[in-house]
Amino acid sequence: MRTKLLVGALVTVVVGAAVVVAAILVLRAGAINQPLLTAQVRGTAQTSQGVLPHAFLNLDTWPDSMAGPHGPSGGPHPGWVTYGPSMNLSVPAHSLVTITVHQYDSGEALLNPFFAKVRGTVGDRATLNGKPYSEINYQHTAHTFTARGIPSATQPSLFINVPLPPTADDAPAVVKVNGTMYPKPNVIVFSFVTGDPGRYVFNCEFPCGIGYQGFAGPMSTLGYMAGTLQVAG
Amino acid sequence: MATAAVTPGSAGGNGHGSVAVPDGGGVMRRLNIGTGIVSGVIVAAIFWAIFRPLLHSPWADDAVVNLTFLGWAIGFMVGIGAFTGPLRWAGGRDLTFEDREYMAGRGQGRSRYFKFCTDHKVVGWQYLVLGMTTLGIGGVMAMIIRTQLSRPDNHIVTPQAYNAIVGLHGIIMILSLSIIVTGPFGNFIMPMMIGARGMAFPRLNALSFWLLFAGVIVLLSAFFLGGIPTGWNVYAPLSLQGPAGMDAYLMGILLWALSSGIAAVNMIVTAITMRTKGMNWGRTPIFVWGVMATMVLSLLFFPAFQAAMVLLGLDRSIGTSFYDPNGGGSQWLYQNLFWLFGHPEVYIVLLPGAIAILEIAPVFARKPLFSHRVAVLGIVGITTLSALVWAHHMFTTGWAPALNGPFMLTTELISIPTGLLFLVILGTIWRGRIWTTVSMLFVYSFLWNFVIGGVTGVYLGDVPLNYQLHGSLFVTAHFHYTLIGGGLMGFFAAFYYWFPKMSGRMLNEFLGKVSFWLIQIGFNVVFLAMFFVGMQGQPRRVADYAPRFATGNGIATLGAYILGAGMLVFLWNVIVTVRRGEVAIGNPWGGKTLEWRTTTPVPLDDFAELPVVVSDPYTYGEPEPQPVPAIAGAAGAPGTAPPGPNPAASSGEAPS
Amino acid sequence: MADPPDTVEKDASASRIHVRRAVLLWVVITVLGIVFALFVPSRVFPFQASSDATRITATFIAFTVLGAAVAAVVWAVAAYTLWAFRSGSGGPPESDGPSVRRHIRAEAAWITVSSILTLVAIVWGLAALSSVSSAASSDALIVNVTGQQWVWSYSYPDEHVNSPDLVLPVGREVVFRVTSKDVVHSFWIPSFGIKVDANPAEVTQTRTTPTVPGLYEVRCAELCGLYHSYMESQVKVLTRSGFEAWVKANGGKVEP
Repeated sequence: MRTKLLVGALVTVVVGAAVVVAAILVLRAGAINQPLLTAQVRGTAQTSQGVLPHAFLNLDTWPDSMAGPHGPSGGPHPGWVTYGPSMNLSVPAHSLVTITVHQYDSGEALLNPFFAKVRGTVGDRATLNGKPYSEINYQHTAHTFTARGIPSATQPSLFINVPLPPTADDAPAVVKVNGTMYPKPNVIVFSFVTGDPGRYVFNCEFPCGIGYQGFAGPMSTLGYMAGTLQVAG
Repeated sequence: MATAAVTPGSAGGNGHGSVAVPDGGGVMRRLNIGTGIVSGVIVAAIFWAIFRPLLHSPWADDAVVNLTFLGWAIGFMVGIGAFTGPLRWAGGRDLTFEDREYMAGRGQGRSRYFKFCTDHKVVGWQYLVLGMTTLGIGGVMAMIIRTQLSRPDNHIVTPQAYNAIVGLHGIIMILSLSIIVTGPFGNFIMPMMIGARGMAFPRLNALSFWLLFAGVIVLLSAFFLGGIPTGWNVYAPLSLQGPAGMDAYLMGILLWALSSGIAAVNMIVTAITMRTKGMNWGRTPIFVWGVMATMVLSLLFFPAFQAAMVLLGLDRSIGTSFYDPNGGGSQWLYQNLFWLFGHPEVYIVLLPGAIAILEIAPVFARKPLFSHRVAVLGIVGITTLSALVWAHHMFTTGWAPALNGPFMLTTELISIPTGLLFLVILGTIWRGRIWTTVSMLFVYSFLWNFVIGGVTGVYLGDVPLNYQLHGSLFVTAHFHYTLIGGGLMGFFAAFYYWFPKMSGRMLNEFLGKVSFWLIQIGFNVVFLAMFFVGMQGQPRRVADYAPRFATGNGIATLGAYILGAGMLVFLWNVIVTVRRGEVAIGNPWGGKTLEWRTTTPVPLDDFAELPVVVSDPYTYGEPEPQPVPAIAGAAGAPGTAPPGPNPAASSGEAPS
Repeated sequence: MADPPDTVEKDASASRIHVRRAVLLWVVITVLGIVFALFVPSRVFPFQASSDATRITATFIAFTVLGAAVAAVVWAVAAYTLWAFRSGSGGPPESDGPSVRRHIRAEAAWITVSSILTLVAIVWGLAALSSVSSAASSDALIVNVTGQQWVWSYSYPDEHVNSPDLVLPVGREVVFRVTSKDVVHSFWIPSFGIKVDANPAEVTQTRTTPTVPGLYEVRCAELCGLYHSYMESQVKVLTRSGFEAWVKANGGKVEP
């Protein structure tokens, strides 16, 4: 009798575990899955830490979701701003990483002028269409690339902030991407040196979403304006 | 089975399983949970179709969601027949006696559990099933949370999904725990305990349950609407950014609060006015005091929560700025309204469980309740002080630093009446004849767990210490020790104690003990480990953490799995018992409160003859004061046939 | 119906034995609890790098000592009843326990002791609170802390420096003026034992004096949205000259 009861109890526990697993699968199915975007190493570069491999990564910032990683029809929220082509970035450890951002969006004021300054890149500088800059007008900013992680004994601290200058509000839409016309993008290039492997996150600090302080919607949804930056060993 | 005819309407008419379905009912014969859901969905769809194209403000999405939920609630309540009585009355023909008999579920077998039924025993069952279901749903979420936290850099779910689940887990558990004792036992047992034949307002009783049901559906829909990524307290202005899950939260809370208010009025009036002959306040069982105190807190403080939710709904749906600092609003307004309710809510969860422990301890110690007066003093003291401590949740907010001292004072003072409850339990079991049923084991686990929850509460009440510990997992561990260690252990004790009366079957002691040990060990492992990582500095509600917290979190997750297994074994025990458990006699434990003086299963009218009370129900070790109506099947006399003219007429009461 | 005298006597002596054993058990549990209190919490807490953190640890230990004594009463009595008064058969007890409905002395003692302990906790807390709330010294370093979803940033108004990390000189009092650009955050430095919410449109204040140079962390302790888990930054406590060098290196100016 007791054995029978215990077997039943065991079955109940297994069924319960299956329910938990099923719930996890539902949650995972609801998440936006984007492929890992890995930086391509091409040659080496001279840095303050000696000669390191040089890795390159290309990103875009779009004023809507018609051209980004959300599918041809713009996904569930065609009107949301988004980074592209993926928000899961991987860069090599102990390397110079150069990120090129094609920035298609116009801009307004940041909530916090702090993020108008370039920080954590080589020379605390970035270039806009080839011209270097270390700070931009905080009242005229499109987005930012702001990365950091949880500082701990096992991973080096990292803080990168690059404000992305906007296109002009009246810039003509001349570039056709995925059937949608966009203005000529700003090309922003910046580099940083990675240390030991670690896991970091990045997001935009410009209130480009909806709702209170512009941080709802795409700002609070993974795969739009927030993603991960993995420094792989 | 039974052949004896029962005259409809005779006061002593007991049972209904065998009785022909009365003629009344009318349209109610066709209304049940199914028609409710269908009509709710239809009205919701109509509201959506009307308002979707009509509204164009920037807040239109949330306004439409809220209106759709409103449509669901109205449609559901109409569809289940909640307003049949008032509508008929408004139309000039009140419900007939037969209609009311039908509404009470006479002769309807199991189908009455799915209807707008006014029998307090049916409502008790409905609350039990709903409470255990939501407890299970919240538990699944707890398992997801702990699985995600089992190691750093884990990717079981995304941070977004994690945040959504954490808030949902919190509010579902708070809701479950606040109904899990007063719902089933306050409804099923409490009226019998005071020698009444039901609640003061049977229709309000059914109304309160079905409003809650409608609200729970709304709340659970948040799972598909982005969840509640704000924590259960839904702090503004983060809640202004949240997804449509926020709207599900606020509409769910409004329905729950309405339901609680109605239930509270009903129970308070019942306890005050319907006590049987001879039951003065000194002879009223302590559980009734506990339920009353809880209901007073519900009645007084749910409105603050309702107000907070109405303002949140306005902010989200039409763009007011009660909580939006850009429009002159204040997050501190929200925090005050929320905690004005939120702290009494802790006692709404805790008191019924704790007082059930006080009721059960004398039975299994075979000793009178130690100092009824001190117990009442403790209950009244906790109830009063709980209204004056809310801002201890706001020590670090900067709202009113000058008030930190006074609120620390009231907070620490509450440990005195809480301590009195311990005195009563310890005084009761001291030199008793301890009968270690599963129910009694939970009394002991309450003593072990709740003292940890209580002592750590003193730490958090200390302002400088609070500056360090607030917002850390130490707080999470603390309140789980009070709400689970106190409230839920009280529920388990009560469940094992009263389930035989409710279902007519004895829970399996062996499975009960297996699940007890899994629960008790698992629970302590999770939350002791959580105290540990909280002290180390791990904040609450994080999906990821630094590697130095890995050990404690790994242990906590292991404990959570043990706890979860224990809960599932408990569930299995309930399933086994309901299906083929040993049949319970009228009074298997030798309890002396009045619910044990009626037959099991309990007849529709509860008592064949209303008992008269000449002492309190704790006369262990004392001579019986005077002959009282025979106790059906008392312990030690198994197999005694229940008295009354119609012994078998009540079969079919248990949903077995 | 008085009991025969010898039964009463036997009963009283049995009662004394029970009480004595339970008290013994209480002493044992209390001692274990005190040992725990003295050795465990101070090792579990994060490294204590400010005067506040040290005081908080002391409070925690003191409360744990008192709490151990209180919890031991409950646990000792509970454990003892389970061991000594358990009905053997496993079934319902054959007889009832003694009808003890009141024990005025026990009640009075309980209320008195619990009131005194509560009073101790209150006085202790108020004393600590008053020292925390006293005015800051005039040469305190001012740091403006801004929380924004999901990054902390710091600015030093007198030194004209901004930084994503918090850098502080050792031994100098520092006043944090904390605010938020959006939702409620909570500025927490576990190693300093300080925490205050960052509220939108409000400035809250907390202060401390770092006592040990080193690397610590700032945590957000109030759920603030998607990346709350990652809202963490570093605190570097440097020597005074190291701090001045850092200020200069970042283009700020050091007051004489």
